Parts: sequence; C-alpha cells; structure tokens
Amino acid sequence: MIDLLVQLPVEKVPSVFEGTANTIAVIVLLMEFGMLRAALLRAQVQLYAAQSLAVSVLAVVIAAGRDIPELYVLGGVSFLLKTVIVPRVINRLLRDSQSEIAGSGALGVASEVVLSIVVAAFGFFAVGSLGLQSSVLPTTALSLSIAVVLVAFVLMILRRDVVSQAIGFFSLENGISMASLVVAAGMPLILEVAFIFDLLVAVVVFGVLMRVHQGRTRTLSTLNLDKLRG
Amino acid sequence: MILLPLPLIQTLQVLTILLAAPGISGVIASIEARMQGRRGPRILQPYFDLAKLFHKESLAPVGAGPFFLLAPVLALACYLTVPMLIPVLTSYALPLGDMGDILGGGIILAFASFVVAVASAETGSVYAQLGSSRAKTFAAITEPVVLLVVFTVALLTSTDLPYVLAQTVSEGPAQIIRPAHLLASAALFMVILFETGRIPVETHTGTIELGMIEEARSFEHSGPYLALLKWGSAAKQLVFYTLFINVFVAPWGLASSTRASDVLIAVIALLVKATLLGIVVAVIDNTFAKLKLFKITEFVAAAFLLAVLAIFTLFLGGG
Repeated sequence: MIDLLVQLPVEKVPSVFEGTANTIAVIVLLMEFGMLRAALLRAQVQLYAAQSLAVSVLAVVIAAGRDIPELYVLGGVSFLLKTVIVPRVINRLLRDSQSEIAGSGALGVASEVVLSIVVAAFGFFAVGSLGLQSSVLPTTALSLSIAVVLVAFVLMILRRDVVSQAIGFFSLENGISMASLVVAAGMPLILEVAFIFDLLVAVVVFGVLMRVHQGRTRTLSTLNLDKLRG
Repeated sequence: MILLPLPLIQTLQVLTILLAAPGISGVIASIEARMQGRRGPRILQPYFDLAKLFHKESLAPVGAGPFFLLAPVLALACYLTVPMLIPVLTSYALPLGDMGDILGGGIILAFASFVVAVASAETGSVYAQLGSSRAKTFAAITEPVVLLVVFTVALLTSTDLPYVLAQTVSEGPAQIIRPAHLLASAALFMVILFETGRIPVETHTGTIELGMIEEARSFEHSGPYLALLKWGSAAKQLVFYTLFINVFVAPWGLASSTRASDVLIAVIALLVKATLLGIVVAVIDNTFAKLKLFKITEFVAAAFLLAVLAIFTLFLGGG
C-alpha cells in the first residue's frame, strides 16, 4: 500500500521566484475582477489602489530576483503615483460630486463575471499561442496582463458611469505596465516613467470629464446621454 | 516504542473525526462569542447538547416513511466513510485509502446531503422543504467549482489521490507558491464556507427561517435522530477542514510511521490546526454580513472564477 506513494512523473515545477511573480500577476487580475463586481465607487477606487500596489510590488520583486536596480525606482514611482496620488484625486472628485453607488452594470454581476472569464480566457490562450519568451518573467505573467487589459475593457464597456469608466482606463494602464515588466524589464527607466506620467494626463482628462458631466447632468451616470436635448 | 497495526490507525482516523467534531464546533462558537464580547457557551457544550438529545423521545410527522428515520444514520455513516479516504493522521496511504479518490469522497459527501434533503422533503413541513430545495439548488452551482478544484489537483499531481497531493505540497515552497495551488485552495475554502453553512452564506446559529439553508433541513427531526444530524454536520465540517488542512494547505505534523507516539502527535496536530482554521472562520463570521439569498450566486461565481483561473494558469505552463 505504501508503494502507492511512489512519486509519479509531474511536469516541471516553476521556481519560487516564478511562482511569486505569477501569483502577484494573478492577484492583479483578481483585483480587476473585483472592480468589475464592486458596487460602491469608493470600493472601486480602493481596489484600484490595491492593484497598483500589487504592480509596484511585482516591480520590486523582479528588481530583487533578477538584479535590475532601475526597477526599484520604477516600483517607488508607481507606488507614489498610482497608489497614493491618483486614488486621492479621484476620491476628492467623488467627494465633490457626492455620489456613492455605481451599481450601473448593464448585466448582472454573475453574468458579468462569466463573460469576463470567457474574454480573459481568449486573451490567455491567444497570447499563450504566440510562444513569446522572456528572460525576466514566465510568459504566464504576460498572458495574465493581457487578460487584465481585456477585463478592463469589459469593465469600461459594461459600466454606465463616468467613474467606473475612468477606473477601467487606469487599471488598463496597470495591465500594460505589467506587460511591459514582462516583455521589456530592461527598458530604459526614462521610458517607463514617461509611461506613468502619461497616466497623469489621463487623470486630468478624466477629472475634467467627470466635472463637466456632473455639472451638466447632475449625475455620474452616462445612461441619459443618448437622450436628445432641445 | 509501540507499533500500531494499520487497521487500528485507520479506525483511529474515523474515531478522531467522530469524537473531535463537536469539540471543534464548540471551540468556534466560543471564540465567536468572545469576539462579540459575550462569554459564550462552554467548549464542551455541543457534547452536552448531544447527550441531552439522545435522552429525549423522538417524534416523526404524520405520513413520514421509514426513510425519514433512516436518513440521519445514513448521513453520519457517509461522513464517517470519507476519513478513510483522506490523510487524517498519516502521510502514507492506509489499507482502505485507495477505495476512492477525491471525486469518490465528493460523491459520498454529496450523497449524504442528498439523503438528508430527501428526508426533509418527505416531512411535508414548509421550512424543511424550503431548506432542502435551497440546499440542492445551490449545491448544483457549487459542484462545478469542486470539479474544477479536483481537475486542478489532477493537473498538478497527475493523479487525484489526496495522499499524493499532500505529499506534493509538503515537498517545498516551490509547490506552494504557485498560483494554481493557491487559487485552488482559495476556491476550496469558499466552497467549505458554503458547505458548512457559515457567513457569508448562512448564519450558523440563526433562528431566522427565511435565511436558512442547511439548518432548516433538520426542523422536523427530534431526539436521537436530531442528535445524529447535528453530530453528522459537525463531522462533515471537520472532514472538510481536514481535507483543506491536510491535503491543500498544511500537510505537516502527519505521522510518517506506525509508532504510537507519532500517531498521538498527529492527533494533537490535527486538532490544533483545525482550531486555527476555526479561528479564521470565526473571524470571517464576525466581519462579514450574510449575503442575500440571491447574492449567493455571486459568491459562488467568485469561487468559480478562482478555480477557472487555476486551470488557465496551469495550461499556460507557468501555474
């Protein structure tokens, strides 16, 4: 009976570093799903902050594991901007507009999740079949980051309020920066930082959009935008 | 150095589950009460409850057949069959350990819940039938999650014997820190919260009939039969905890030989680990609100998402 436990041939086990990186990438994707489910706008902003934190941690983990010191700086900058400043700005805007509940999904939450699973699966296997290889990270992380981008698209399409759409856009940027960590971790730091400052432009644009929309329609919902105005 | 024969260790596995189960429920109830600022019941209270119920007379509703009385016995028997299949005390497979794999254990657990549901549907009582119909409805949507978790295990270890997964997990950190394993464990934990009737699915000690699922099913049973049902659900809880702890999360402290001292340490280790898991469950019980009945699908959808992601990452080769 003991011979039941003879070690069976198991496929290659990824190393602890790869496992950690993949797990953080999975957490980033789960946060994206969390944003899709979150009913409160404030909860969405918190999830965005947590997701950005996970991406910063991933940068630091790669910096430590693969000995690329620039990534420490990148992790620090992205933590400061995406985990501290951007969520604060959005929260400020939210406080001014005094709306709490998004609750504006075009579908039910369970159907939204199932739809996003399908979309994420498409992203997973589309990228997986490309056979890209990276010296820094396992390709699973790349597939996961593409899945993040696609689910962010679903979030922006299905939610009918300005804040969720803005958050969807910002978290899409998180997916992109995770992909850039996989594909081009050795990219010059100045490019990476320029990427992040692009986000600030987006924040300003969305901030103006939210204000104008709020001022005109007295709501954050985009449901009534197709009504003709005389 | 006393060596125990294998059949005795196997019996010990079943006895540990049977005897410790009400105690674990008592510990959880007591911790929960402490966190709410109450003194709470004694840890041994479930045993006293069982003893009291065994001395009471039992009544059956008019028109209920013999199955109504047979069901509690059958269900408890099912819950006590599963500890033979999973590593409760030993890290090596015992003589009957290859009777069934994880799927086999799952089928037995599902059968037990089916038997209880049929018995409560037979009573004609509104609340008992409500409970059994809800339990079966939600069981139908949690079952895919369990299947996906089993598939993940099968992909990880190329078999679905619980002993082999436990051995794989105890090999080292590389096996634990991989997304597939973590996601499958998280999904299983959510299923366990559902199966043991804990917040956010159900109030464990509630008396509000409209929110009840599992608890409502035993409304019509009384006396020794109610005692058997209660004992059965405590045993089911400990079986699930053991499966989660000893197969997925922390397969340490298991006896690797037949020495009596090793087995004794394994019993104590299991109780300590189950208590720790119970503390986690009590914290969840106290921090989250019960979901509306129609929101339970969202909870299960989240568990489903975790299990599907586990399979995806494995298929991409990096999980």
